[in-house]
Amino acid sequence: MGIFSRSKQAQEQPNGASKGSSRREFLKTAATVGAGAAVGAPAVASAMDFDFESFMQKNFRELSDQELQAVIERLERKYSKQYDKQVDVSAIGPMDGVLYGYGLDISRCIGCRRCVYACVEENNLSRDPEIQWIRVLEFERSAALREIKLEDGNPYYDHEQVPAEGKFYIPIACQHCEDSPCSTVCPTGATWQEPDGIVVIDYNWCIGCRYCMASCPYGARHFNWGEPNLPAEDVNPDMHIIGNVPRSRGVVEKCTFCIQRVRKGRMPACHEACPVGARKFGNLLDPNSEIRYLLDHKRTFVLKAELETHPKFFYFWGTEGRS
Amino acid sequence: MANGDHEPDGDRHPPIQLTIWAVIALAVVAIAGLFTVRLEHHPESTRDYPPRPLIADGEVTLLPAPEVPDDYLPCGDCHDDVERETGPTPRELEFEHEDTKLAHGNLWCLHCHDSANPNNLRLADASLVSFEDSWKLCTQCHGRKLPEWRAGVHGKVTGNWRGDREYVTCVFCHDPHSPPTKPLEPKPRPRRPEEIVLRADRSGGA
Amino acid sequence: MHNLRVFAHFIRGSFLAVARGSNGYYIWLLALGILIAFGASAYHNQLTHGLITSHMRDQVSWGFYIGNFAFLVGVAAAAVVLVVPAYVYNWGPIRDVVLIGELLSVAAIIMCMLFVTVDLGRPEFVWHLMPIVGTPNFPHSLLTWDILVLNLYFLLNWFVVTYILFTAFKGHKYNPRIVLPIIFLSIPFAIGIHTVTAFLFMGLKTRAFWHTALLAPRFIAGAFCSGPALIFLIFRVLQKFGRMQISEAALFKIGELLAYAMALNLFFVATEVFTEFYAPTSHTIHAYFQWFGLHGDASIAVYTWAALGCNVLALIIFMVPKFRLNLLVLTAGCVLSFSGIYIEKGMGLLLPGFTPDSLGEVYVYTPSLNEVLVGIGIWAIGALLFTWMARVAIAITKGELRLQRS
Repeated sequence: MGIFSRSKQAQEQPNGASKGSSRREFLKTAATVGAGAAVGAPAVASAMDFDFESFMQKNFRELSDQELQAVIERLERKYSKQYDKQVDVSAIGPMDGVLYGYGLDISRCIGCRRCVYACVEENNLSRDPEIQWIRVLEFERSAALREIKLEDGNPYYDHEQVPAEGKFYIPIACQHCEDSPCSTVCPTGATWQEPDGIVVIDYNWCIGCRYCMASCPYGARHFNWGEPNLPAEDVNPDMHIIGNVPRSRGVVEKCTFCIQRVRKGRMPACHEACPVGARKFGNLLDPNSEIRYLLDHKRTFVLKAELETHPKFFYFWGTEGRS
Repeated sequence: MANGDHEPDGDRHPPIQLTIWAVIALAVVAIAGLFTVRLEHHPESTRDYPPRPLIADGEVTLLPAPEVPDDYLPCGDCHDDVERETGPTPRELEFEHEDTKLAHGNLWCLHCHDSANPNNLRLADASLVSFEDSWKLCTQCHGRKLPEWRAGVHGKVTGNWRGDREYVTCVFCHDPHSPPTKPLEPKPRPRRPEEIVLRADRSGGA
Repeated sequence: MHNLRVFAHFIRGSFLAVARGSNGYYIWLLALGILIAFGASAYHNQLTHGLITSHMRDQVSWGFYIGNFAFLVGVAAAAVVLVVPAYVYNWGPIRDVVLIGELLSVAAIIMCMLFVTVDLGRPEFVWHLMPIVGTPNFPHSLLTWDILVLNLYFLLNWFVVTYILFTAFKGHKYNPRIVLPIIFLSIPFAIGIHTVTAFLFMGLKTRAFWHTALLAPRFIAGAFCSGPALIFLIFRVLQKFGRMQISEAALFKIGELLAYAMALNLFFVATEVFTEFYAPTSHTIHAYFQWFGLHGDASIAVYTWAALGCNVLALIIFMVPKFRLNLLVLTAGCVLSFSGIYIEKGMGLLLPGFTPDSLGEVYVYTPSLNEVLVGIGIWAIGALLFTWMARVAIAITKGELRLQRS
């Protein structure tokens, strides 16, 4: 009979439970656990929108050409419907013999932030919660015998006109490091450097662990803490699948050098928006490009050079000027 | 466990203990090995892209300068009048040109304009250039800017980095009478982290 | 086949052992259930709206959840520290209770995994990390290493515990040839898991506060201060409520171990303070924030000094025989030690690493109510699992839960 038994002293329990009640207890507990699971599971599923194909989608680097085509078509259908526009999702690859580099003339930047907002529009950034891929830091010139550190920078300046008296400006976004710490630490391999030097993110593969954000020395990576808000009328329908497709909640995003533009020979949106020509862009492998000219003729520096991340974003002074 | 005996006396049955260790070591290696199956997806690897040659480069054009305001043209219409004396000394300007702010170092009108040829500008060697080619006058003094401007490092090249692109002349950005670029009203500052909160309507998406 | 049937009875017996108990036991379960319900509700809120329900933002992208994770990996590792005197030095009084330490390890690892899961932006895609189906960035990413070793350690402990209890259930003695190699393996593994977790932080050259070789030894020292302290407190509870016999010799031995551990930990704190403040660089601003606050906000500094106070007091209790050999005072010392390390290795580790952030901005992070509720819920889950496992273990070791052959 009893394959399960208790020793004599244990049977005298304070609440005098009998053998018959053990089965009742068992059923009671089992029922509670079952009820909890029955309530919990649909609640959890409802909290997350479930799209099966998107769930099963492989890492971008592993998709076959047919699979990639299917993904593109699915995304175009989805976003065209969602934003009531004809959306075009490209997966255009890198050109051979190209390594993108960026230059920034800090003698010219006036801190007007037009680049910031051009980027927001071009790359379908969330408006609320606000995400901005470019951050402009304002520094006080002449720190009276003390060195200027990044801590002295202020991104929240709010003047009526810029440049403000005695200040200079350094815009910072992803530096597309040749030896990027972010791609090294990503546990799922969701971020990597493309052959043309752009560090990209597969937004569908990112699990949102934010290890990359902890590793980025430039504060260039941004997280979708809440549901991104992108009004339909503001959507840029020319998208690239690892560029400016709308992102979901819970993934990391960052500047992609406007991959959807530059791979077609166009300039990044920030470059076009700058009213004073502080931004330079081009192919580092082309000796006749403007980026190579400034590397050859100007004194350039990179941020946090001691970390040996080898950024491809070069700061320089174009002029002595009034700045 | 309750009968506290035992030192590990594995020497009596070494093969069994060895086997256990071997199995454990194998399991660890196997599991670690599973992780390396996708080793090729380290940061340096990318998608297998087909070759894609550089797209064709384009033309570099110099865009025309913005038009001089109509009511000032042609200069010769007013300055042909013998009665309007064009004095060589710097002074307060009157009548048509009182709204021209002059703040170009210690330059005055006749440093660049020619009183005898009011429809042109005058270079240092007394030769004349049209308003269209005013950049030749600017780069006489601002010589360092010339190659930089040509390379795109001074000013801005618009268009494509690969394809057609355009330059503009100096006067496109710089008012020659008051060249420093004007301050602009900045766009709004970014939200501080403590200002990024759940939206009041709690709705998601677009 | 026969073994499978017996195992089924083992499961059933275990289930019954946890389903029945005194009123006090039911109240404990109810209290934990309430905390878990709050935690689940808070997590549901987070799943619905995203991590914006936390106070983490781009500037401080890790906080309360990862702080708890780092602390609990230490607890899991240090639970095994009792194994050393038990088996290597064959010290009887601790042998009897080493199983509790293993159970704590299991519960702590589960809590670690839960804390990491709730920190993920898209937990439903965690399969992207797994070999074969996903593309883990192994061996480059320390996170993949961490997942590997934590899971292996969990399996090791789980196997040992289940095996020992199952054989005892059957009325046999466990086979030391199976158990001992695994237990011996778990010692370097325990150090290993905590070192890999430390490497996670140390490998980020951009976070100057963590990019120090000292972090791994500090983690181990902190773990040895908090893990055994928690075990001590659990033993006291089990003595009172779990009808467990634990010799005073074992308890005092833990106190002795804690003395060494806390002395080492405080030595490391001293070396850190010296390095940062004797020859300051621009990186010192993180340590400055930790001890004094920045921009008028000194909330973290209050906690840092409080942690130091707890630890110093705990050291005094552990070192002075009059105090250490007084069970009540020693209990207080363990509470102090646990709290001090919780602050030091939890938020005290995370926040100064991110403040100021990579661009020098100071955003003073404090966890939101939602985060704290989720965290409490996870601790309650851990406590619940540990309670149940301990009940089964005690019932078996006391001979109450046995396979009866009819």
